[in-house]
Amino acid sequence: MTVVALENAVKRYHTGGEVIEALAGVDFHAERGEMVTVIGPSGSGKSTMLNLVGLLDTPSEGVVRLDGRDVTDFSEDELTEERRSEIGFVFQSFHLLPMLTASENVELPSMWDTARDRSDRAVDLLRRVGLGDRLEHTPEELSGGQKQRVAIARALINEPDILLADEPTGNLDQDTGRTILDELTRLKQDENIAIVAVTHDEQLVEYADREVRLVDGVLQ
Amino acid sequence: MSRITDLVWRFPSVVMAWRNLGRNRVRTALATLGIVIGVVAIASLGIAGVALQQQATTDLGSLANEVTVSSGTDSDTDGVTDEQVDAIRSVVADAPVVPEKTNSTTLSSRDGEEAFVSVTGVTNADALYTVSAGDSPERLRSGALLTNETARRLGIELGDPVSYDGRLYRVRGIVESDGGFGGGRELVLPIAALNDQDYYDSVTIVAANGDEAQDIVSTLESRFNEGDDEEISITNFASVQENVNSFFDTLNLALLGIGAISLVVASVAILNVMLMSTIERRGEIGVLRAVGIRRGEVLRMILAEAAFLGVIGGVVGAAASLGTGLVIFEVLAGDPTLVFEWASLQYLGYGFGFAVTASLLSGLYPAWKAANDLPVEALRG
Repeated sequence: MTVVALENAVKRYHTGGEVIEALAGVDFHAERGEMVTVIGPSGSGKSTMLNLVGLLDTPSEGVVRLDGRDVTDFSEDELTEERRSEIGFVFQSFHLLPMLTASENVELPSMWDTARDRSDRAVDLLRRVGLGDRLEHTPEELSGGQKQRVAIARALINEPDILLADEPTGNLDQDTGRTILDELTRLKQDENIAIVAVTHDEQLVEYADREVRLVDGVLQ
Repeated sequence: MSRITDLVWRFPSVVMAWRNLGRNRVRTALATLGIVIGVVAIASLGIAGVALQQQATTDLGSLANEVTVSSGTDSDTDGVTDEQVDAIRSVVADAPVVPEKTNSTTLSSRDGEEAFVSVTGVTNADALYTVSAGDSPERLRSGALLTNETARRLGIELGDPVSYDGRLYRVRGIVESDGGFGGGRELVLPIAALNDQDYYDSVTIVAANGDEAQDIVSTLESRFNEGDDEEISITNFASVQENVNSFFDTLNLALLGIGAISLVVASVAILNVMLMSTIERRGEIGVLRAVGIRRGEVLRMILAEAAFLGVIGGVVGAAASLGTGLVIFEVLAGDPTLVFEWASLQYLGYGFGFAVTASLLSGLYPAWKAANDLPVEALRG
């Protein structure tokens, strides 16, 4: 079942009177329970594509579908609601908040939903990624791999359909990267989510169910 | 999580704001210090104004309460008559009415020292004079009262005789100058001592306060002075007090203005601090927005940071101003506890209110800017 799709997506940037076409008509989709990697050289439009799939940006042309719904013309506030409930993000440099503990960082996306206490799920997720004994640690007390696991738990707190990962192993050594990828693979099945990962990392490709290659804004 | 942490997490913006401020304590402390100085400037200048005004009012107090009546330009007599005194008494009801006859004389001491004094003949001296030593002047029938300054100069003590118009009067009391004009050198005698004067030179009516004094003035005006006729001349310094009050109101406003300038400077500092900290955290705020934190929630979080700076600065500033106020009242009025009267305390409220308002206003732009940054732009840092 397709959870997210781009149909003939075009993204143009205007810089200094010049028009740069970062994406030149991309058709892409991701299914529940699969991990898709997007690979390609720098500047090929990978990040732009991830931003469109993650509803962080809107295409200049084309359509974005989430669970079959056309969300292309959603307002920023509507997109925020969709991101909150449907999409989880994992970043290359983790982006945890330094003044929050591991479990608070995991709860962050649901923190303002005061009617709904997610602390139990946060603890559960941290246990599942092997950090049951690090709940009250702050990010600076955690290693790189542990931080990325906290970030993965944060991405899953609101039970999303899609997890987007931008170079998730980029700041980790090979062994740690491998454990993170094992973790993602397991969670993909447990939670029945689609994972879209942008990477240079050949290792990550081994874990992928499917691989798409982006060159000069076009899928090969 | 404990109950308390559960409870505080009901207000995530506030918790996040508090933690964010804790990340750079020096910067937070300096921004708060700016606010503290602003609050102290506003509140202690305000309190100083109140203290000055209260002091001036106390000094003028007895003058403002008294209404003095003397013979008017259209009067047939060169003084106030007994009939007029009776009429005044019937008009003012409760307030003491003290008819006076005045003259002057030169008193001399045994060793030849001389002092020129004004002589006042009164019936009920207690309404006008406060005795600092000696008998109550309640019924001044035979003795005299002398102002302390003159008594000291001439070496006259209680019980000593003074001579006026060929008669001797025993000094029964030493009175303090009432602070009025020409006070300080005065001999007070029974009215009978000035019996050769047919009319009263003046009649003093002692009202309870300045407002009542002014009521009496208008009643007397309508009773005695019809049209342009001035049967009696009425003097009251309540209007002087009003002028003094209005002067101090202006002064207070000017002082508050000066204080407000420092708070404006402080709020510019807050604006700068908030702007810098949101620019530094741009990527982080981008992450918040990416994971689904709403614009309004980011806005509230940053406004809460600004509000914290204002509240902390306001509380510390108000406490410091209270201390300053205690010192000001101790120095000006000799009674530090006067600062706890509402007239002064209200300035602590103003200072605090201004601090919170100024901080919130300063936080508004950085908060709005951070909340409306496109997440995709913000994530790039």
